[in-house]
Amino acid sequence: MNKYNMNKRGTDKILSIYWFFILALIAGGIIAMVYVFYGTPYDVREIESEILSEKVADCISSKGTIDSEFFADSTFNTKISETFIKKCNFNFNVEEGYGDINEVQYFYEVEFYILEDLENPAFSFYNGNNNWKTDCSIKKENDKEYVKLAKCTEKRFYALSEEGNQYLIKILSVIGKSEKNVK
Amino acid sequence: MLNKKAQVGESITWVVATIIVIVLLLIFIYASILLSKTKSLESGKENSEYSFDWINSKTQIAYSINDKNKDKIEDWISQSKKDE
Repeated sequence: MNKYNMNKRGTDKILSIYWFFILALIAGGIIAMVYVFYGTPYDVREIESEILSEKVADCISSKGTIDSEFFADSTFNTKISETFIKKCNFNFNVEEGYGDINEVQYFYEVEFYILEDLENPAFSFYNGNNNWKTDCSIKKENDKEYVKLAKCTEKRFYALSEEGNQYLIKILSVIGKSEKNVK
Repeated sequence: MLNKKAQVGESITWVVATIIVIVLLLIFIYASILLSKTKSLESGKENSEYSFDWINSKTQIAYSINDKNKDKIEDWISQSKKDE
């Protein structure tokens, strides 16, 4: 064996180490790409808040008429806020392990307006975690959507009481759950 | 001397190749970061040909019973769409 052949063998060894390095680099890159893409959760809060507002609207009125449970002695039934969750079959205690312990990740507010006064609600009630509501005003004031803030949906519709009185109803639904939906 | 020059030339080729591979990987990783930020589901009702506004249907049904002050009601309802 002459000295030139020995040199060639050394070069081959270095080359194979280089190829393993490149292989590891590409494999690491692919792993990083997959981790980044699939590790990011889908943000479904916007749809969730829309569904919540639609479910709330369903519980308030059907066929254009507000449910009779909302009225007591020709005025609004103030006890409806306590019974509404049960009436609509809502369960807000489903997010264990996210956020603060037992922190409810949902909020909704319903406001009834009469045509004579469209600024101040004639009756309103809410359920869920009231802290989320402030996130909606931050978004509106700054006109910039912060990813970690709660998602809000405002829906308005028109319905009649059984006596035929006209009411305008505003529903605000808010979904927190930023830990689960945003990385 | 000639042998050494060839070795330097070959080394430069591999160094450049390695840099290209790293740059390409970084571009793809950056692209996957950008793609991951688009992972949000929106209703898309505004763009859908077959959209159905469930809340609006309630208003329309109520109009069929009593459509008095319809313009005023429509104005008030449209305010929320402006705010969005």
